[in-house]
Amino acid sequence: MRIAMVTTHPPSKGSLNEYGYHFVRYLRLKADTISELTLLVDELPTGGEYALETAPGSVPVKIVPCWKFGALDNALRIRKAVQAAHPDVVLFNLQFATFGDKKIPATLGLLTPWLLKRSGFKVAILLHNIMETVNLKSAGFGGNPLIEAVIRLFGNIVTRFLLSVDMVAVTIPKYVEILEGKYGAKNVMLAPHGSFEEPTDAVPNTMPGGASTVMTFGKFGTYKTVDILVEAHAMLQPDHPNLRLVIAGTDSPNAAGYLEGVQKKYAHVTNVEYTGYVAETDVPRIFGEAWVVAFPYTSTTGSSGVLHQAGGFGKAVVLPDLGDLAELVQEEGYDGEFFEPNDAQSLADSIRRVIDHPERQMEIGSHNYMAANGLPIDEVVDWYLIHFQEILKK
Amino acid sequence: MDILSSIKANIPVLHLTGRFDAHEVKPVADWMQEQVDANRPRLVVDLQKVNFIDSTALSTLVRGLKHCREQGGDLHLCSLQQPVRVIFELTRLDKAFDIFASEQEAIQAFTG
Repeated sequence: MRIAMVTTHPPSKGSLNEYGYHFVRYLRLKADTISELTLLVDELPTGGEYALETAPGSVPVKIVPCWKFGALDNALRIRKAVQAAHPDVVLFNLQFATFGDKKIPATLGLLTPWLLKRSGFKVAILLHNIMETVNLKSAGFGGNPLIEAVIRLFGNIVTRFLLSVDMVAVTIPKYVEILEGKYGAKNVMLAPHGSFEEPTDAVPNTMPGGASTVMTFGKFGTYKTVDILVEAHAMLQPDHPNLRLVIAGTDSPNAAGYLEGVQKKYAHVTNVEYTGYVAETDVPRIFGEAWVVAFPYTSTTGSSGVLHQAGGFGKAVVLPDLGDLAELVQEEGYDGEFFEPNDAQSLADSIRRVIDHPERQMEIGSHNYMAANGLPIDEVVDWYLIHFQEILKK
Repeated sequence: MDILSSIKANIPVLHLTGRFDAHEVKPVADWMQEQVDANRPRLVVDLQKVNFIDSTALSTLVRGLKHCREQGGDLHLCSLQQPVRVIFELTRLDKAFDIFASEQEAIQAFTG
């Protein structure tokens, strides 16, 4: 089977690059099923270059940078690249803002799967969020109710275009219900997110040595904001003077300059470290040093890769009591302390319930490790390949 | 979960009872691997008495299906209870597996 995958991939810092990286890592191990893999990735800034290590017996990979975040002609350029690659199946690793932070490029990019389907290709999408559950304002779109209504209308239309492909995979059962109920879709399936890390026999150290450390990881500024986390950190400092707060990651592509603004706004708060972009090789250290991983989200746009990573490293987590995330935690067997969204005091209390209670910290960490290792992404990839084989039979 | 294996019409059959989840997958995975290693890649798993299945268990069945097909065989499922069938439909794995109403039909599909 020849597969083309439209995705972001490190060193690109585009959203879903981490998921793309791990998915590709395991696709490449499926040489018994895949004969060739073409990655249709976004163009890097000048001087940047994609490089994948080759391993004996792994699937040959061709990397084709053929689209650009925010460009208007991505659909046509991707189609041209797909036509050149001649894949049996094209897989998109998508969310609604994959192709741009402005409405027109984002929408035009999302028409690419439909365009490819119309051009005769078998097309599958892994859709990380759906319009119905996105808080547009928090996600960086919208602004006034009329504009939000128009965006939702266009979102519904785009969703119908997305659903015209052969298969749409989502990671939350509720998304399946919405897409089937509202759009009458018959080609939507639930596919677990999967764990990024390879399971080991021993549960990692849930309580590393050194100063107690709260860590948050991601691309910040839209629905993932760190303001209340810094405020919660400041509230905890009087009785936890050595507490570290590590803010690991960069601005969201939709919120350039956000973290710089946070640093200025909270310059008076001590023991806060901003790591900037975290390379794959540094991820184990960043998670390893954390006592608790915080999710200061104001809304969610799908399953959380960071939650699965935290689980893979056996970490306790504090989570906002938001619909999707709370549902995911329950359905996928994770545990954590919850706080009221946008409430710094509630967040501080939830962190306190973890760092002041080692037995609870270990309980959550071990529980999350078991949940994360229940289904590694390696096996999720097998699900996709089984489905691709069914698509190709048609 | 209780596990009982048998051979009917030369087809290995595995009967499962109870919750089929992450804590219970190993013996099932081991059984399927043993059959494939012994050049018996046509298998039936009877889920009649399974009242719950999670994603890890589904994944174990997917892996078994893959290995069976790689060896020229297949993995047939039978007698799914409604809660289990719903999970297969939600994940659309009902399209990937051949699922039969009874064990007899699942075996007959192999033996003709």
